[in-house]
Amino acid sequence: MGGLVNYVIRRLLFAIPVFLAVSVITYLITNAAGDPVQIVKFGIRNISPAQLEYLRLYFHEDLPVYIRYFYWLNDFLHGNLGQSLYTGSVVALIVPWIGTTLELQIPALALALAIGVPVGIYSAKHQYTKGDYAITTTAIFGISMPTFWIGIMGIIVFSYYLHWLPAFGAYSSYPPYWWGSPFMDALAHIILPLAVLTLVSIATITRLVRANMLEVLRQDYVLAARASGVSEFKVTFKHALKNAITPVVTIVGLSFGVLLGGAPALETTFSWPGLGKAFVFAATRLDLPTVLGITMIITIMVLIANIVTDLAYAVLDPRVRIT
Amino acid sequence: MGELLRVDDLRTYFYTEAGVVKAVDGVSFVANEGEPLGLVGESGSGKTVTVLAAMGIVSRPGKIVSGKIFFKGEELDHKSEKEMRKIRGKKIGYVSQDPNSSLDPLFTVGNQLVEVIRTHFEDTKDQAWDKGVKLLKLVGIPEADTRMRSYPHELSGGMKQRVAIARALAGEPELLVADEPTTNLDVTIQAQVLDLLKTLGKQLNMSLILITHDMGLIAEMTKRVVVLYAGKVAEEASTLEVFQTPKHPYTAALLASVPRLDRKEVLVPIGGGIPNLITPPSGCRFHPRCAYAKQICIDQIPPLEESGQRRLVACHRWKEIDLRRKA
Repeated sequence: MGGLVNYVIRRLLFAIPVFLAVSVITYLITNAAGDPVQIVKFGIRNISPAQLEYLRLYFHEDLPVYIRYFYWLNDFLHGNLGQSLYTGSVVALIVPWIGTTLELQIPALALALAIGVPVGIYSAKHQYTKGDYAITTTAIFGISMPTFWIGIMGIIVFSYYLHWLPAFGAYSSYPPYWWGSPFMDALAHIILPLAVLTLVSIATITRLVRANMLEVLRQDYVLAARASGVSEFKVTFKHALKNAITPVVTIVGLSFGVLLGGAPALETTFSWPGLGKAFVFAATRLDLPTVLGITMIITIMVLIANIVTDLAYAVLDPRVRIT
Repeated sequence: MGELLRVDDLRTYFYTEAGVVKAVDGVSFVANEGEPLGLVGESGSGKTVTVLAAMGIVSRPGKIVSGKIFFKGEELDHKSEKEMRKIRGKKIGYVSQDPNSSLDPLFTVGNQLVEVIRTHFEDTKDQAWDKGVKLLKLVGIPEADTRMRSYPHELSGGMKQRVAIARALAGEPELLVADEPTTNLDVTIQAQVLDLLKTLGKQLNMSLILITHDMGLIAEMTKRVVVLYAGKVAEEASTLEVFQTPKHPYTAALLASVPRLDRKEVLVPIGGGIPNLITPPSGCRFHPRCAYAKQICIDQIPPLEESGQRRLVACHRWKEIDLRRKA
């Protein structure tokens, strides 16, 4: 156990330079993207010279960029992501967005695993049968169709023509609610984006599980287990699955960090008020502090997800040693 | 001397995209109690597939096309999967070729032994664990208690092969099939594993089928030999007869390619390679590589004929040619 704690601490220490490098690069890029004072000036036409001067000082524009970076870093480490150029504190903006994004992403991932893993196993066990062909063909469709396209098709069919589901948003702000109550209303709103997101993840996971299972089922230890009279159920779900699932854990774990960033295209399609849509929105109107803040939050999540994935890997595979 | 495993005109084909691979094409043999049997042939001659087919674990795209398999007179080929599981491991144990890949890397030695023991016996986990420790001791693994908790990657190749043998013994089988058990081991370890197999056979009253391409192993371990070539039986005889008076040119060629310490001979490799089994050569499948081939060998498939007491050979010219090695 001591080794484990040591390992985590060491990995966290290694994450610091990565974080700093990403922050420097992102900070410089957002700086090069434009001068916040000019952006605000462009938005508010009758702004006074005194107000402009105040903003210039607020953004430390009297100092060179590498000094400004340290001011920003100091604020960041104190949990202050600065002010959005439009609507108040970036932190106050981001936190609810993270919530709505996770509300969509976590069920999607859970569903995709719950469906994708068994389907992938089935497909591998029935390689080159009609069932397998149907699954692999659908999976290729799921992977190659852009999320926003499937999303738009869903909206056209289920909202526009059938009127079964709402077309956008995470909830209705005022009555009448879908399906009677605010809770059912939220449920009605999440179905379409969740279905689309799940479909795409299922496709990836199914293909991955199928390929790994096929590989593992060819291994000698599977043959040896069968030859010792071990049941096909145990061969498949104990020996083959555990060996095949490790790469899936890696992929899912690594994608978990990215997942927090939301699916920008999907969230935009469904006007889902999450981090992904917010990011797109902030970028299009040059809300630089918000863009910077979101990027750094995602960076931290990716770094943490990396460490957690490595730990999970070590738990699953005794050959991976944590020292 | 009772009959243990009888394979009758077994055909196992693999249906690949390139065509039907006739990996085993009419193989028959009998493995008797207390008479270690060797299955010899080059890679791809159908040795392993024959045995796997007998145990009912040829996986797709392979399929048993025809033939009968008996274990102690009981027909196996019509048995259900559930019934076959009582044969696998329980009646016939199997040790596969590469000890480095025959154990699941993600489970401890103990876990894998207990799994097999509990498949075949109604033991509690603790009983099965104790049996596992005994098995490890039986195959000569020191500190068996500790080793039960080891993962395969923590063991040496020889140790892994001993564990694999222990697992094959876990169901207390009457017949042990060892598929090239020493190919992937160091020479010194090879000798140890062979000794172990010999002792175990006597100690547990268990018969052996040894699959190999190594005539040296055959001489040391077996009493009877079936020589396979390209999915067919070329020759079957007692080990002594095969070494003294080989009747099939392929057997003779195999013998000539083995180095010997007692004679100064030039080693003669067998020219060519194993034929493509999708479109095997006409007539005798060995004819393209045979020094004695004549027109009849190209035209007609040689029947497996009796060439003596309990001796079979599939060669058109076995009566005419003398293959004995010059002493």
